Amino acid sequence: MTLYRHEMKMNLKSLIIWTLCVGGMCFGCILLYTSLEDSLQEIADAYANMGAMSTALGMDKMSLATLTGFYATEIAMMHGLGGAMFAAILGTGMLSKEEAGHTSEFLNVFPITRGQIVLEKYLALLTNTFLFNLVCALLYVLGFVLMGEELMGTEMLLYHLAQFLMQAELGTVCFLISAFSRKNLMGAGLGLVILLFAADMMCRIIPAIENVKYMTPFYYSNGADIFTSGEINGVMLAIGIGILCVSFAVALFQYTKKDLAA
Amino acid sequence: MKQGQTKEYAIDIQNLTKTYGKARGVTELTLQVEKGDIFGFLGPNGAGKSTTIRSLLGLIKFQSGSARILGMDVRGDHKKILENIGYMPSETMFYPSMKVSEVLKFAADMHKKDCEEESRMLCERLEVPVDKKVEELSLGNRKKVSIVCAMQHKPQLFIFDEPTSGLDPLMQAEFFKLILTYNKQGATCFLSSHVLSEIKKYCHQAAIIRDGRLICTDTVENLTKTNAKRIHMVKDGVEESFVYRGDLDELFAGFAGHHIEDIVIEEPELEEIFMHYYEK
Repeated sequence: MTLYRHEMKMNLKSLIIWTLCVGGMCFGCILLYTSLEDSLQEIADAYANMGAMSTALGMDKMSLATLTGFYATEIAMMHGLGGAMFAAILGTGMLSKEEAGHTSEFLNVFPITRGQIVLEKYLALLTNTFLFNLVCALLYVLGFVLMGEELMGTEMLLYHLAQFLMQAELGTVCFLISAFSRKNLMGAGLGLVILLFAADMMCRIIPAIENVKYMTPFYYSNGADIFTSGEINGVMLAIGIGILCVSFAVALFQYTKKDLAA
Repeated sequence: MKQGQTKEYAIDIQNLTKTYGKARGVTELTLQVEKGDIFGFLGPNGAGKSTTIRSLLGLIKFQSGSARILGMDVRGDHKKILENIGYMPSETMFYPSMKVSEVLKFAADMHKKDCEEESRMLCERLEVPVDKKVEELSLGNRKKVSIVCAMQHKPQLFIFDEPTSGLDPLMQAEFFKLILTYNKQGATCFLSSHVLSEIKKYCHQAAIIRDGRLICTDTVENLTKTNAKRIHMVKDGVEESFVYRGDLDELFAGFAGHHIEDIVIEEPELEEIFMHYYEK
């Protein structure tokens, strides 16, 4: 597991920065909730009259007038988008950075199979994503405790589990892109995140494209849905895990057979 | 080697062909390197030297033929082979944010070996700045780190691709001293180089590759044997200098009717001897 430890070390700075930025920002918003409470009530009323927009943001299910509602809609959106971007950046660079940085010859002449390289790098990707979610979730729980607000423990746990799976799925798709590329296609990864995020919002508003929900992992990891239903949609989760498994398998196949650039 | 005893090859390549789409890599390359040899691999730029090396190391996949290293198939026993190889690429890159000492430790850990003692000895002899970050290193110092990475786990086979470019003459000499030491201990060395004097001085056997095909393999002594002469002369008031391959009587017969003011006939430079192998 030398390569795994190496990858964890190489990505530590990025993990800390993203966790502090996303987690810290959301934590700060939780702490600011009391001072925003009055104006949020007005915003909640305004959103209630905005129809489609409130549906897209999940405010037809939960109200901004409570901290839990604020968390499941506003905070969840910031955390979801930030976490997905972090996973996408990690994934797109994980394999391709060796060829882009001309270190592939250095790495691939050690007594380690390409399969092992893929596996250890992928485990590092998953661990980073998991740690990001763990630290962020602990910060949010601390925020609720400091605010003296009752915590919906099960829903919170389910939500962060869904977030981890969503980020793992996106990270794996980006990992697949990385296996095919000789350059770090971070832009493509971030573009994919924005596209799938927008697809989630659109398919909630427009009935004609409702089936798009099966394609975007933002749908099954939506905070408002999980906090109101108390569960993760099983079918969509299964599709997500399926995409994750296929993406990893194709990445493994591609990386083991490709010619590596010097 | 006793009569009747089969030769043991560190590298045994049979009919290896690698193409990049429609572009040529190497074609039907057959080459053997005996165990314990220091073998030179020569050829002009783009001849297929690096393609051959990268195929042996599994960095690229060849289409046909076979290759065995230390008796093991490069496709089937890839991991086992790499345990016993020390490779130095022509352009060495490491992770920029790491310190040299961390790179060396990482390389040793990847080999699952404690290479501390050997690494320290190599770093002292090559004057490697172990506390510097990779991004602060000059090309020469990066090369030195690469040499230590290739040698510290004491492999049975060294594969070097243009190892001395970027090294100062003192370090080049130290590098070859190390090669000779490991060679005495039984290691084989496969040296791809453009520096013909290095090949002549240190290699026992050499192969020449051109346009992806092997031109010849022989002892360095035989490869450098030639009847070519460098002629410097002043003919009819005009100074001339050229390499002449052929019968000197015919050359002198050609001077009839000309006024030769001065003539010097000497052995050609090593580069000139090899040049005809390179020319199309």
